[in-house]
Amino acid sequence: MNDRTLGIAALVLAALMTWTGWDIEAPFAYEPVGPRAFPMLIALVIGLCGLRLAIKGGNPVEPNPPGANARIAMMVLVAAAYAFLFQWLGFLIATALMTMFVGRLFGGSWLKCAVGGLVMGVFFYVLFDKVLDVVLPAGLLGDLL
Amino acid sequence: MSGLIDHLSIGFGVAFSLTNLLVAAIGSFIGTMVGVLPGLGPINGVAMLIPIAFAMNLPPETALILLAAVYVGAEYGGRITSILLNVPGEASAIMTTLDGYPLARQGLANVALSLSAASAFVGAIVSVIGIVLLAPLLAKWALAFGPAEYFVLMVFAFCCLTSLLGKQPIKGTLAAMIGLGISTIGVDANSGVYRYTFDSVHLADGIDFVVVVIALFAVAEMLEMLEKVAAGHSVEVKSSGRKLFNLKELAFTAASIGRSSLVGFGVGVLPGAGASVAAAVAYSQEKRINEAKDPNAKFGQGDMRGLVAPESAATASAIGSFVPMLTLGVPGSGTTAVMMGALTLYNITPGPALFDTKPDLVWGLIASLFIANVLLFLMNVPMVRVFSKVLSVPGWLMVPGILSISYIGVYAINAGTFDLLMVVGIGALGYLLRKFGVPMAPLVLGVVLGDMMEQNLRRALSITNGDLSVLYASPVSVGLWIAAVAVVIVPQLLRRLRAKRQEQAAA
Repeated sequence: MNDRTLGIAALVLAALMTWTGWDIEAPFAYEPVGPRAFPMLIALVIGLCGLRLAIKGGNPVEPNPPGANARIAMMVLVAAAYAFLFQWLGFLIATALMTMFVGRLFGGSWLKCAVGGLVMGVFFYVLFDKVLDVVLPAGLLGDLL
Repeated sequence: MSGLIDHLSIGFGVAFSLTNLLVAAIGSFIGTMVGVLPGLGPINGVAMLIPIAFAMNLPPETALILLAAVYVGAEYGGRITSILLNVPGEASAIMTTLDGYPLARQGLANVALSLSAASAFVGAIVSVIGIVLLAPLLAKWALAFGPAEYFVLMVFAFCCLTSLLGKQPIKGTLAAMIGLGISTIGVDANSGVYRYTFDSVHLADGIDFVVVVIALFAVAEMLEMLEKVAAGHSVEVKSSGRKLFNLKELAFTAASIGRSSLVGFGVGVLPGAGASVAAAVAYSQEKRINEAKDPNAKFGQGDMRGLVAPESAATASAIGSFVPMLTLGVPGSGTTAVMMGALTLYNITPGPALFDTKPDLVWGLIASLFIANVLLFLMNVPMVRVFSKVLSVPGWLMVPGILSISYIGVYAINAGTFDLLMVVGIGALGYLLRKFGVPMAPLVLGVVLGDMMEQNLRRALSITNGDLSVLYASPVSVGLWIAAVAVVIVPQLLRRLRAKRQEQAAA
C-alpha cells in the first residue's frame, strides 16, 4: 500500500472513464465542444497523475493499529445497514439500533448504548421532525407518531 | 464613501432582524461546540448543517448567516481545548497551543481565553473592514471577465489550493480531477446527453453536492476516528482569580494583534491558504520581530504575544477567505467551497454580479460575520465551562449522533435510500483516499466548480468556434496563467533550495 497502489487505481479509473465515456455524443452538435471533451480531459489528467504516482512509488501508507481495520469494516457495514433501514424501520428505531452497534465499536457498554440510542432517537425525532420541521420517516411506527 | 455606509446599513438591517440574530447566536454556539470536539473543525460543522438549514426552508441569507456563524464559532471553539488541554480542536488551532497551554499551566487559563477572544475579535473587525473596502472593487473588476477568463481563474484557484495544501501537489491535482469527474455525472446541460449515469434514474440529476460533502467530512471522519478509539477526556476548568485580561496586557499585545490581523486577512484573501497557514505565518512573524527587540520574550513558554498572533490571524483569514467566494465566485478554501455549494442549493451562483443582484445577501452575510464575532466574544468567557463539558461527551454517544444528524440532512434533500447508500460508499472511498494522503479540499472544490468550469470552457470555445487561443488571448488570462504556474512551481523550487542549503550546511 503506497503511492504505486494509488497510481494504479487512478490509471484504472482513467481507463474506466474513457471506456464508458467514449460513446457520449450529442445527437445534434451545434457547438464545437460536445459533452465528451471535458470528461475525456479529466480522464487524461487522472491518467497522467496515476502514471506518475505508479512510476515513482514510495510514501507507504501508515498501517492501522491492530483491530482497527475490522472496526472500520464493521462501521461501514453498520452505516450501510442504517441507510437501508432508515426509511423502512423509520428514523427512531433505526437510530436506536445504529447507536447500539456503533456505540459498541466506540467502547460503550451494551446497556448504555441501548439506552443512549433510544433517548437520542426520540430527542432527534422531536427536535427535527416536530420543532425544526425537517421531515423524518416514521416507518413502522407510522401510526403512533 | 456614502455608498459604503449604504451597503453596511443594508447589511446590518438584514443581520439585525430577530430571526437572523437568533440564528447567528445559535450558529455561533453550535459552531463552538463542534470546534471543541477533537477531530471536528469548521468544515465538518458546516457540512453537516447545510442540508438541515435547507430542509428547514430557511431563506438563503438566513441559511448563509447560520453557516457563517458556525464557521466562525468552530474556529473559536478550537482554541478552548488548545489552551486548556493542549489538544488543538482543529488544524488552525495548533499554533495556539504553543503559548496558550503554558499560560493555562501558569494559572492564567481564563486570562488567556479572554485575551484570545479579544484578539480574534480584533482580527474579525480588521477583516470585515478589509472586505468592505476590497470586495466591491474586486467584484467590479471581475464583472469584465468573460468565459475564458473565468475558466483560467478556476484553474488558478485549483493550482493555489493543491500546491499550498501539501507536499505532493500531484495528489491534490488527482483530488481536484476526481471532484471534477464527479461533477460530470448526470445530464449534460447543453446537449441533454446522459453522462456516466449507467442507466440509473437516481444518477440522472448527478450526485448531489450534499452527498459528497457529508460523505467526505462526516462519514470518512468517523472511520478515521475508529483508528484510535480513545475515551472522551473530561476537563476540570480551574477557576483562576482573574477572568479578564487587564489593560496592561492588552497594550503589551496590541501591536502583535494589529500586525497579525493584517497578515491573516492577506493570507485569507489568497485562494487556497486558509486559517492554518495564516496562524503559522503570523506566529513565526511575531516570534521573529519580538525576539529581535525584546530579550525577555519567551515564545513557546507562555508569551501572550505568541497567543494573540495565531488567534487574530486565524480569525482574520477565516473571514478574509469569503472575499474570493463572494467577489469572484471562486472559493478560496475548503470551507468556503462547501458554503458556495450551499448557495447553489438555492440556485444562487456567487460571483461579481451577486453584489448587484443580491446586496442584502452579501452585506447581510458580512454584517453577521461581524455580529457572530461580537456574540462569540461575549459568550466565550462566561461559558467556557459549558463548552469544555462538551469534551466529556463519550465517543460512543458522539459518533452515532454525528452519523444520525448527517443522515437526517441527506435524507432531507431527496428523501431516498439511494442517497444514503451513496454517502456510505463515497465516505468509504474518501477514507481510503485520505489514507493515501489525498487532500479532500480540492476534491470538494472540484465538485462545486465542475459545472461552471466546463460551461465556461465550452462557452469560450463556442465563441471562437473551437480555437484554443481564446484561453490566452486577453492580458487578464495571460496574467492568471502565469500566476497559476508560479503558485505551483515557486513553492517547489523554494523547498528544493532549502533542502540544498541544508545539505550544504550539513556537509
